[in-house]
Amino acid sequence: MEEKIITRRDFLGVAARTAVAATLGAGIMGEAKAEPTARVVLIRNAEVVGSDGKVRGEILQSMLDEAVRSLLETKDSPEAWQALIKSSDIVGIKTNSWNRMPTPKELEAAIKRRVLDVGVAEKNVDIDDRGVLQNQVFLKATALINVRPLRTHHWSGVGTCLKNYIMFVPDPSSYHDEGCSPLGKIWTYPIVKGKTRLNILCALTPQFYGRGASFFDTRYVWPYKGLIVGTDPVAVDAIGAHLLEAKRIAFFGEDRALDVPPIHIVAADKTYHVGISDLNRIQLIKLGWADELLI
Amino acid sequence: MMRCIKRAIHKGIYTRIWACFVIMVWIFTVAEIVEGEQKGKMNPEISLPAEAAGWTWDGKEMRYSSKTLFEYMNGAAELYLAYGFQGLTVRKYEKSSQPTITVELYEMASSEDAYGLFSFERQDEAVGIGRGSEFGGGLLRFWKGKYFVGIYADGGGVEAESAILTMGKATADLIQEMGPEPELVDLIPGKDLGLVDRSIRYLKSHILLNQRFFIAHRNILNLSRRTEAVLAQYTREKQKTHLLLIRYPSVKEATDAYQSFLGAYLPDAGGKELLKTEDQKWTMARQRSEVVVVVFGAPTAADAEALVKATEEKLRRGRHQENKE
Repeated sequence: MEEKIITRRDFLGVAARTAVAATLGAGIMGEAKAEPTARVVLIRNAEVVGSDGKVRGEILQSMLDEAVRSLLETKDSPEAWQALIKSSDIVGIKTNSWNRMPTPKELEAAIKRRVLDVGVAEKNVDIDDRGVLQNQVFLKATALINVRPLRTHHWSGVGTCLKNYIMFVPDPSSYHDEGCSPLGKIWTYPIVKGKTRLNILCALTPQFYGRGASFFDTRYVWPYKGLIVGTDPVAVDAIGAHLLEAKRIAFFGEDRALDVPPIHIVAADKTYHVGISDLNRIQLIKLGWADELLI
Repeated sequence: MMRCIKRAIHKGIYTRIWACFVIMVWIFTVAEIVEGEQKGKMNPEISLPAEAAGWTWDGKEMRYSSKTLFEYMNGAAELYLAYGFQGLTVRKYEKSSQPTITVELYEMASSEDAYGLFSFERQDEAVGIGRGSEFGGGLLRFWKGKYFVGIYADGGGVEAESAILTMGKATADLIQEMGPEPELVDLIPGKDLGLVDRSIRYLKSHILLNQRFFIAHRNILNLSRRTEAVLAQYTREKQKTHLLLIRYPSVKEATDAYQSFLGAYLPDAGGKELLKTEDQKWTMARQRSEVVVVVFGAPTAADAEALVKATEEKLRRGRHQENKE
């Protein structure tokens, strides 16, 4: 059977999101009535980023702890961390080191601190981005924690948790076709499959719009001062993409198109079954500062 | 006699010592100059200032090839590779209590490629630097000759923004070659039809085309490094229309691409070149020799026809001019 070619016309006259979903073979509207199957925490604090742009590590640590506690519905945060990580685990903290907007060091430190608190030996924890395929801790990892900033991205529409695992393959550029829709496939490879205990989108100062490969523009970065945390990377990404979309509408008065629509999030759900992308099936728990929440 | 011999020996030694001294001084002097030149060079063809507007180069220089560009770009390297990337040199400039300024100098295969890279992301006001420029959000972008340059600071501020522009002008002045724009850009109709200048994109791959204007997930227009495409937006009475002009290496390749487009995008047009699509707007495609013209989203069939005809007229004039030359 000849493959159907998806053209611009498939998106004309109907809402793009519905068209994308239909294209990928989903019955999203029908499934919307199902019970929520993913849980995501959005936590914010007005003081976590100072007027000088500096991150206050102690506040960030408490935000992370509270988010994890709420996510797992435990009585305190140590119990939550113990539910995520065992002392015998070898833990890789997959970060993002892009020089214009890296994962804040304070957030990396906060995660590592809690992994050590659980009892994991220091030699069995490491933080890395582009060197994961040469890093013995990541190669032997029994648990991964995925953390990166939330922003738009030239090839995938949004740079979120799913995209962050592209460094686990030796040929990242092979995953850039069709809006990076094959990204979800990476999550099915043995090096990461079933190992990710927590996904954290750092939304302290997200970038909501970009244009092309340089994709950093101070006009399109705002101090949202939040973290988006969950165990389901697709659900976390769907919330992140939704937040950026809401901000674009607030800023431009319309949802100004990204370089590509973030179809890889839906593809990760419908094609690779990595998690839940349908916002109607994601339970979003909002904690903390509520000004200009947007979602 | 012996005294004479000893004197002669001594004289010879002194001469040799003196000669060695002169040679060593020359060697060290030349070495210093060479080293100085290398430090001042971004590239064998271009030297950059070591200082501008009070910001001083930190003395380090990073260079990237097509194999290592991915390390610097975090996934964005393919855009540059699509435009014939040859090499990147990065320098940082510092000033006390001010944000660091980064200068990125990209050497591309041709001035057309440098223009293409610039055009792909253009959205801001021009600032009169190089052959084409824009400045917005703290980022200066310009092209000149076969070079594309990006300059930005790690933070905001009036002083840093002013320094970015000063550094941009100084850098542009050091690039001697002006370099032509792609000829194809001159073949699109102008402002009388509502051309939005900053919307003009010169494209070398279907992936890049899709990022600016999604047409199909497959390469139905057979775009490649061997083809040239120009995408432009026309706005009249708030109605947006897009024009795509593609030149192929041969008439046969243009014919194949035209037929591929009709089959994949306008299969219900019954072989005709004009169709009202699902958004109640008009798409029109036409082939003229090695060129394919497509109009998307025209409010009326007459608007689509007018844009195609205006393009054909410019093509005809362009060919006439070529024949005269």
